[in-house]
Amino acid sequence: MRRLLDPINLAAFGFALSLIVVWQLLADAHLLSPIFFPSPLRAIEVLQYRAFDGSLWTSLAWTALRMVVGWLLASIIGIALGAAIGSFRLARVLLNPTLEFIRPLPASAVIPVAILFLGLSNAMSLTVIAFGAVWPVLLASVHGFSSVSPQLADVSNVLGLKRHDFMRKIALPSALPDIVAGLRVSLALALILTVVTEMQSSLPGLGWDIFFAQRSYRSADLYAGLIMLAVLGFAANHLIMLFERRALRWRNLGT
Amino acid sequence: MQPLRKTVGSVRPEKAEASALEVSGLTVRFGARTILDGINFDVRDGEFLCIVGSSGSGKTTLLRVLAGLARPAEGKVQFAGAEISGPSRDRAIIFQDYSKALLPWRTVRGNVALSLEARNVPASEQDAIVDELLGIIGLSRAKEQFPSQLSGGMQQRVQIARCLAQDPKLLLMDEPFGALDAMTRQSLQDEILQLVADKKIATVFITHDLEEAIYLGDRVIVLGGSPAGIMETMEIDLPRPRNQLTTREDGRFLAYRHRLFELLVQEHPPQAFEGKGQQ
Repeated sequence: MRRLLDPINLAAFGFALSLIVVWQLLADAHLLSPIFFPSPLRAIEVLQYRAFDGSLWTSLAWTALRMVVGWLLASIIGIALGAAIGSFRLARVLLNPTLEFIRPLPASAVIPVAILFLGLSNAMSLTVIAFGAVWPVLLASVHGFSSVSPQLADVSNVLGLKRHDFMRKIALPSALPDIVAGLRVSLALALILTVVTEMQSSLPGLGWDIFFAQRSYRSADLYAGLIMLAVLGFAANHLIMLFERRALRWRNLGT
Repeated sequence: MQPLRKTVGSVRPEKAEASALEVSGLTVRFGARTILDGINFDVRDGEFLCIVGSSGSGKTTLLRVLAGLARPAEGKVQFAGAEISGPSRDRAIIFQDYSKALLPWRTVRGNVALSLEARNVPASEQDAIVDELLGIIGLSRAKEQFPSQLSGGMQQRVQIARCLAQDPKLLLMDEPFGALDAMTRQSLQDEILQLVADKKIATVFITHDLEEAIYLGDRVIVLGGSPAGIMETMEIDLPRPRNQLTTREDGRFLAYRHRLFELLVQEHPPQAFEGKGQQ
């Protein structure tokens, strides 16, 4: 609680609030047509209404679920591949050229292919999200696993740790700071791709809500959806930062 | 396996003991460069052997071969009668850079327990062993702290405790106290002497501090030349237990120091010689 009342946090909150006030004043002045530029109060009214009829929560749940599941897929694949490439020369030699070739592909360009194979389905959406979000965590994991200090490898050898114990007890914790940084970037990408695939294939969720609102010129609904997406992204990022602070507690002790 | 010792008098006890470690004709190369050339020596059971030499003389390489972390190009290294083919738990090594040798994400307890986990000691027994070792090495109060919260001397103690948890028969130490302040270094010197004497662990101790080598060792080997070979082997005839004041003031101590200093200076001009021990 004390952290929330910190002067700097109060100032940041005040700044955001003043932006909304300016938004409201500009809208009230009718400089732009309310069809494109509704007031924030109108957007909040929509949120209230949709919160009561429940449609807001359904959309939010779908989007959050897709984002989290897609991100988890990306994370598992990214960490596993990253561990292999970062730790074993054979995997590096074998996989690197292919991965370097696929990596520059924009994930959105893969959507038509995914639709071709999987239809307008959740499976398609998750595949695209996982494909697009895997790269940051993969690259970070490769870096983390390949930069385990050789001295710790010596320690492990002298103690006679088995290969899998070395990976679990030394390499993974040593790579964790890199991995967590990658996970954060991947999560942001996962949200982007969730919205894109919802728009592309009429899957229920906040992305589709926004798309539909725009097509039917309901700009207050559009902004309401944007606000919810911002809240979702903000909350997800904060959860990861909480996890990071906990898992990497040893890094922030200092002396 | 030695028959009963007949007399105590003139024969130094170490000489009557069997060799724990035997190095013969050891040559090590990195690519085309020969680092060590034709090294022969042995370490007797329970002996404290010090190896000195200026930096770049291959001391660390030699120790890595003894640990099984580096392979000789030629020659034989035998430990307890068997040729060394790789690292083994009965040969513990204490690295010079303690900050890189500890797991920063594990507490002191967790770092020491790593040895026990590798030995498959049941989790229920680990705590008692860790507590005992931390008591011996004077770290009981720091048990739940992370390495980054400890001073250099304390971190090096954690490394020593972890090595002891391996239950080694040979302790290899690579300039372990080089980065510590003088007072901490002296107390750790005395503690390590006490520890290896109590546990009867043979020790190979590398240093470039000549006084440290004489103070600790039963023998001091001087490495030098390029590629490096053994320039001299010196028996240190000083009474034990050693004492930071009286041992260092002993005339023989000063004579040994004089001799070692001359040996290393003739090899390296004074400005290139890093004589940490010359106060």
